[in-house]
Amino acid sequence: MELVALQGLNFVYISLTLALVALGLAVVFGLLGVMNMAHGEFVMLGAYSVLVVQNAGLPLLAALPLALAVCAAVGWLLEYFVIRHLYRRPFDTLLATWGLAILMREIVEAVFGRDYKSVNQSLPGTVEVFGAVYPAYRVVLMALMVAFFAGLFLWYRRSNTGARIKAMVSNPALATAVGVNTAVLARGAFIFGVCMAGLAGVALAPLVRVEPYMGIDYLLSSFFILVVGGLGSLVGLLVGSTVIGGSDAIVSAITSKTGGYMTVLVISILFLWLRPNGIVARD
Amino acid sequence: MASSRAINVLFLIGLLLVPFMWDSFVAYQLGLFLLYGMVGQGIGLCWGRAGFLPLGQALFFGVGAYVFGFALKLEAGPLILVAGLLAAILLPALIAFVVGFLVFIRQIGSGPYFSLITLALTMLGFQLANSMDWLTGGFNGMTGIPALPGTDTYETLYYVIWAALVLVSGVLAYVGTAPFGQLLGATAQNEERLQYFGVNTALLKAIAFAISAAVAGLAGALFAPHQGIVTPQSVGFLLSAEIVVWTAVGGRASLMGPVLGAILIGFMASELRDSFQYWEVLIALVFVVVVIRFPGGLWSLVEGLARRLPSIGAKGARKRDLETDKSRADGSVRLAFEDVELVLGPVRILDKLSFRIDTPGVHSIIGPNGAGKTSAFNVLTGRLKPTAGRIEYNGATVGGLSRHRIARKGIARKLQIPSVFPDLSVDRNLDIALWAGNLTLSQMFTLRPFRWSTPLLNEMYDIFPFLEDGRQPAGSLSLGQRQMLDFAMTCLTQSPLLLLDEPCAGLSSSETGEMIDAIERIVATTGSTAIIIEHDMQVVERLSNHVLVLNQGALLANGAMEEIRSNPAVQAVYGGGSK
Amino acid sequence: MNRRTLLKSSTAAALLAMTLAGPVTSAFAADDPVKVGILIPQSGPGGLFGPSSKNSAELAVEEINAGGGILGRMVEPFYADVGGPPSDAIQAALKLWKGEKVDAFIGMHDSAVRGALDNLFKGQVPYIYTPVYEGGECADGVYVLGETPAQQLEPVIPWMAENKGASKWYLIGNDYNWPRDTNAAAKTYIEASGGTVVGEEYLPFTADNFDSNLAKIKDSGADAVLVTLVGGASVGFNRAFASFGLSDDVTRLGTLIEENTLAGIGAENSKNLFSSAGYFANIDTEPAKKFAEAYKAKFGDDAPVLNSLGESVYDGLLLLKAIADKAGSLDVAAMEKAAEGVSYSGPRGEATLEQRHTTKDIYLAEANGADFTVVETFSNVGAGDNCQ
Repeated sequence: MELVALQGLNFVYISLTLALVALGLAVVFGLLGVMNMAHGEFVMLGAYSVLVVQNAGLPLLAALPLALAVCAAVGWLLEYFVIRHLYRRPFDTLLATWGLAILMREIVEAVFGRDYKSVNQSLPGTVEVFGAVYPAYRVVLMALMVAFFAGLFLWYRRSNTGARIKAMVSNPALATAVGVNTAVLARGAFIFGVCMAGLAGVALAPLVRVEPYMGIDYLLSSFFILVVGGLGSLVGLLVGSTVIGGSDAIVSAITSKTGGYMTVLVISILFLWLRPNGIVARD
Repeated sequence: MASSRAINVLFLIGLLLVPFMWDSFVAYQLGLFLLYGMVGQGIGLCWGRAGFLPLGQALFFGVGAYVFGFALKLEAGPLILVAGLLAAILLPALIAFVVGFLVFIRQIGSGPYFSLITLALTMLGFQLANSMDWLTGGFNGMTGIPALPGTDTYETLYYVIWAALVLVSGVLAYVGTAPFGQLLGATAQNEERLQYFGVNTALLKAIAFAISAAVAGLAGALFAPHQGIVTPQSVGFLLSAEIVVWTAVGGRASLMGPVLGAILIGFMASELRDSFQYWEVLIALVFVVVVIRFPGGLWSLVEGLARRLPSIGAKGARKRDLETDKSRADGSVRLAFEDVELVLGPVRILDKLSFRIDTPGVHSIIGPNGAGKTSAFNVLTGRLKPTAGRIEYNGATVGGLSRHRIARKGIARKLQIPSVFPDLSVDRNLDIALWAGNLTLSQMFTLRPFRWSTPLLNEMYDIFPFLEDGRQPAGSLSLGQRQMLDFAMTCLTQSPLLLLDEPCAGLSSSETGEMIDAIERIVATTGSTAIIIEHDMQVVERLSNHVLVLNQGALLANGAMEEIRSNPAVQAVYGGGSK
Repeated sequence: MNRRTLLKSSTAAALLAMTLAGPVTSAFAADDPVKVGILIPQSGPGGLFGPSSKNSAELAVEEINAGGGILGRMVEPFYADVGGPPSDAIQAALKLWKGEKVDAFIGMHDSAVRGALDNLFKGQVPYIYTPVYEGGECADGVYVLGETPAQQLEPVIPWMAENKGASKWYLIGNDYNWPRDTNAAAKTYIEASGGTVVGEEYLPFTADNFDSNLAKIKDSGADAVLVTLVGGASVGFNRAFASFGLSDDVTRLGTLIEENTLAGIGAENSKNLFSSAGYFANIDTEPAKKFAEAYKAKFGDDAPVLNSLGESVYDGLLLLKAIADKAGSLDVAAMEKAAEGVSYSGPRGEATLEQRHTTKDIYLAEANGADFTVVETFSNVGAGDNCQ
């Protein structure tokens, strides 16, 4: 029973964190068609923000505004100088952002050094949930993520921005004609996307390794989630995270972690091949 | 053209001289970059020409390296080596062909999905190479691979690599010039249009992918003796990405650009790595700038210089001296729509549409906007699958077949917007039409089809004299000329059934007159059946006696022009029919 | 058409290489320096160890030269980055060997690169391999300084059984040769100490979530875990391990958890964490303290933290000097004759070369917050049989 509860909590946790990490990429890839290879590097920026806050002796929450400010600034720079020139050239954005990812890594390495940094647990210790001993920080984080996704879902459904973004995606020329400023909207969407990546970095920093090369992990898993879940819908994002996180967890539990990893790869390939629009197709 | 070929040859000769001009160490280092450059050339074929980007080429490189490394380690004589080399080339080609065909046939096209599949495959390959240590030596690699017999790894192996580069360049140059390469280029420009010419573009792209994999496999095979070790990194995602980067920097659309990119970045990395801490920053910056500023890569700068040189042996006029008779023995057409329905989402576009056409001549489809005219063409030509009902053409069901299959049954289609291949010359555009339905797979790799001609082509030259200036790109023609070229191409397929969607759209009144004459003349000489969609009643009246009226996805009226005119239902739709 | 200019522009790449590669010298004189190629990772996953390796090498060169050099000749170091795949490393090594004509190599890199270099050097140039590795190197001209699994585990596992009650072991490592070979050795020592192996698992390099592994460890009832994950994976695993409260009851032993990895794991996650190695930054012996002070004096307080991998390059130069001085030459044939039984003394203590490997002291350290404290020293531990 205890093991079942533990595995169940792990399953929910991995699905939520994967969705959180992939959210930014889903916005940028799904709405703008930009395969942002520097996505993981924004997660890294978020994590280093926590480190800066910690070294300055400030509370962990101070990292949130810092991470958002840093990611927004860097995101604006990238969009203005690079991305906006390449919106209609998907392969070129992929290559350019790949180069930018290297740049961001090297800059962080130059500032903070190559070594591993340890971010303190702000909520150390464990609590018992359904008979399973579980890290307290994770439990709080899971509750926050559920609330966050619910809020995001409602906002996107209700707000005008959501409609305008949908309009821009489905018909850029028409959107411009009816007065939607697509350039501003695109920049906004890109900055929002990378800020979400930074947010994920803040949330995960106390749990993971923090170093300049940490981004690549998040990039790849995010791509797989988008592939399975489909682009352009929040539900798809959550479904994709559940499928990827779940199949990895289940196969890893039964066989080995290598088996789980290869299963994720095979599932991704099958989805790309047979259901390129994902489980939840774009509406 | 000629000067760019001269540059390529000079580049290769320059590479041959490197061991003499510098030392053998520089040549050894260069050898590795040439191997990577070859892989890049394969990527160039797929990406620069056919428009799909493979992101996992290291998979094929690594497979080639492991297979030939294994054969070398057996040290069992030349026969085994030759078999090993063949396997190192053919196994990657086979994998790529199967993967490519399965992916491309699903019409998810050339976009990022294909790229991501290849990326995931190379990651899978890395993991397998890493885990199967009984076969590959695991992470530490397959070690102690002996030198290629008869060569010294640090001296003479370079010439073997150089020869392989020449071979690969030659093959790729030839393949690019042959009909295969022209069709591949057309695929990148307008894949759907090519399918209406009966070309199986999925097969075409899968073959291109297989060729690129074979090249990568050959490069990998030479990598094994060059390095003496093969590790999973040779299969990995990072190497794949790096080679794509080099290809982009060098020039994806050129033959030698990828090689130049591999050499330049290779030497830059190797020299800066130990002396300049932020060498990766520098390379990333170079790379980002090239992607944004010079999408053609560095080779386009080289070619820019080359263009100032006098071009040697400029080609004369095209010779079309191989008469091919394309006219089909039995040009008769029996077409039947039976209760065809098409539902897209909540919209019912075709609603039990039924009609028959079994007489030669020109038939017209008219009807208000949204009546389902173009949709009827779409379900007939395989652009859309009918939701229900049957479409029969000469006794066979065609509804739901793929586009190129339907085209090969003798249905040619001209889209409403002129859809020529803008970057190809007028001659090449005409070639593609002449090849439609006739060109076999093996002929795609010979040069003879460029000399094909048909009586109908000469008639086209007579009707549209501007076609004789065959060397100008089709994209530089006026809108009217593009409509005419498109129409000519549709007719040159000599399909018994021609579907013409508003052939006079966007034409001036004098051009419209020319076009009407042309349609009448072609239909008369070829004895084919044409169905045109037309809004202009004067055009309809002049061309055809049989008119079908569609409204709200169903047949409203069907008969001679006079009957249609007096039909009260038609009059109601057209508000008195006073057009 | 001007062929000459074209030819030049088309081979501009090679030209670039030529001008940057510097002059190729072949003249040799007795008072020429001893050129030593020092191959360390400065990029890629191992790049973390580049700075401390380079500093250690510089310190060694300075001290050796102050003491009269090798064979009476000054040592001149040439550094190259071998943090990439073997193909890059071969180029880097060749450039030093054929271009700079270095006389010997010191290498601190993974075993894939070692295999590539073996095949390149073929015993024509002395090559000292310094980091922890899985054992089994036996080629001519190659001398190994790093710890083998036999050295790190043979004395340590019985100690863990006796002092920490470790009897049910769970083995977890990355999916490649070193962890597999380490665990194969570990199994015999665990059985010999009366313990059992309750689980064994290998993770791909990409693994960044360890929940399923932790659940398995918990379920297996293990009381000790042997960690052969490397770098970032080790950091991530150990952090998650502690966050689940497992560190209170289960002892961890790592054979490649050095000071950087421990810093990443963090003080609050390092309870009951042990590490076995030939060197730690705060070994409490005179030579080790002297070395650490000299390092600090030369590179300052903010210098990259000392660790067993970085320091191994320092020892590598000492070993090279010891063999060369005894052989009276840097010629491989002469060194081969002299190598067996050569001994030297460094920060790690006394070491003797046997079967190309060093017999030396092994330290077992326990994490104490973000630092290691040596809790036991095992003297003169042999590297096991590496030449079958």
